[in-house]
Amino acid sequence: MKYALLIYEDEALYGPDKSGPKIAEIVGKHMTFTQELGARRIGGSGLRATSAATTIRTVAGKKTVHDGPFAEAKEQLGGFYLIEAADLDEAIAIAKRVPVLQDGSIEIRPLLEP
Amino acid sequence: MNGSAIERVFRAAGGRIIAALAGRFRDLSLAEDAFSESCVRALTAWRERGMPDDPAAWLYQVAGRVALDMLRRQRTRRQLAPEQPPAEADAEDVMTADSYVIPDDRLRLIFICCHPAVAPDSRAALTLRLVCGLTVTEIARAFLVEDTALAQRLVRAKRKIADAAIPFELPSPEDWPERIEAILSTIEVAYAKAHEDAAGLSPHAGFAAEMLHLASMLAELVPDAGEVHALAALLHYAEARRPARVDAAGVMVPLSAQDPALWRRDLIRRADSLLAAAVRLAPDAVRTLQARLQACWCARSSLSDPAPWRRIRDIYDELLLVRDDPIVRLNRAVAVAELEGAEAALAELEGLDGERLAQFGPYHAVRADLLTRTGRIEEARLAYAVLLALDPPPAERQWLSGRLGELTSRLH
Repeated sequence: MKYALLIYEDEALYGPDKSGPKIAEIVGKHMTFTQELGARRIGGSGLRATSAATTIRTVAGKKTVHDGPFAEAKEQLGGFYLIEAADLDEAIAIAKRVPVLQDGSIEIRPLLEP
Repeated sequence: MNGSAIERVFRAAGGRIIAALAGRFRDLSLAEDAFSESCVRALTAWRERGMPDDPAAWLYQVAGRVALDMLRRQRTRRQLAPEQPPAEADAEDVMTADSYVIPDDRLRLIFICCHPAVAPDSRAALTLRLVCGLTVTEIARAFLVEDTALAQRLVRAKRKIADAAIPFELPSPEDWPERIEAILSTIEVAYAKAHEDAAGLSPHAGFAAEMLHLASMLAELVPDAGEVHALAALLHYAEARRPARVDAAGVMVPLSAQDPALWRRDLIRRADSLLAAAVRLAPDAVRTLQARLQACWCARSSLSDPAPWRRIRDIYDELLLVRDDPIVRLNRAVAVAELEGAEAALAELEGLDGERLAQFGPYHAVRADLLTRTGRIEEARLAYAVLLALDPPPAERQWLSGRLGELTSRLH
């Protein structure tokens, strides 16, 4: 089974445009974690801050371009992993090890293609 | 052979057969459908030829073949090469098969149904359906929802289990505490619903027995988990007292006024031995302490035995060390009132977060009682009125109305 692990954190923790001192700290942790995952990691990346986000909305067939993320929330999608795991329990065990700076959430979503 | 005898066989065997099929085919819906189909076939076959030596084994063998058929048809529909049909067991084989052919996968099934990734309100429903064999209608009535709503909830839960690939294996050892906790809280919530109405008139009451059975089964399947024994003990004590919880007029009887002669001694003996295991395995667990509180009450042999308030307060003190919350403090205050007087208990209640307890019926009940005892009748009446506005179950409502009536007459 392939799963996406979507990382939600309050991006304000990382300073404006994710340029603060905390960003180096968390990137280091993700690099270590990526090495630990080895072949079970099929892909993934950190994302730039939502200030760099652009959203295309389709309403009644009409497409419009907007500045910003699709929804405002206290925690924002900040990065993701694509992993290979035997089942949900293994995915949960891996997701529990995904580094977060303070509070945050990891959403586990099975991919449509198995 | 009548229909209800057959129904009983289906229900008694269902959990184990569905669990075994689910373990074998890794598909809950397939397991459930195949078992239902085997029951349909049994109705005709058993009427014609009589019930087999081992009905459960018959059902398992037939359901296994039905499941393979269903899988073959799925493959054909997806235009994959059909598998070779398995060799048909002849009728003689099926009639004389033994239950030992059915592997006991019930624990695995309970772990799946109560997986923390399944919505909390669906876990109990799914467990009652698949492990205990209750019908959708019975469960819907117990949870006070429409049949269709409950059926949808079950479908969604099964789909989640399949889509997210919740495993059919037992969890790894480091995950056991979290996973056992999810099972225990599921049983607790379901039993609390059954126990809510003292009169046992609510439709929940019917499956209190199922919850007792499930907790006992779990204690057998996971013999070294102390909290499992503690929960099973708690449920047995609570169920033992059911006959004394309302009087002949259907009015609630508070625990300290219940006649121990009405309590079910068989359930109390079973609870005592479950508690002994819990105390040995997990002496400091919250559920063990809660079961010890129940044991104190159930040790009373008649109403002339002094109520065990001192021991109750001491156990609450132990409980505070592991779980200091307003509800434990509230319950402790009840014992304090008996030992040190109502004023002392009221003082303890003052320290609690009234906002947080505003919707909690027992808070108002305890407060109303303490206010009455200290002669603050107006305030007590107000507390009873607040409590009645929270819409308690009928037996409790009657008891409360009685108390409120007494107070009102004292004012005049």
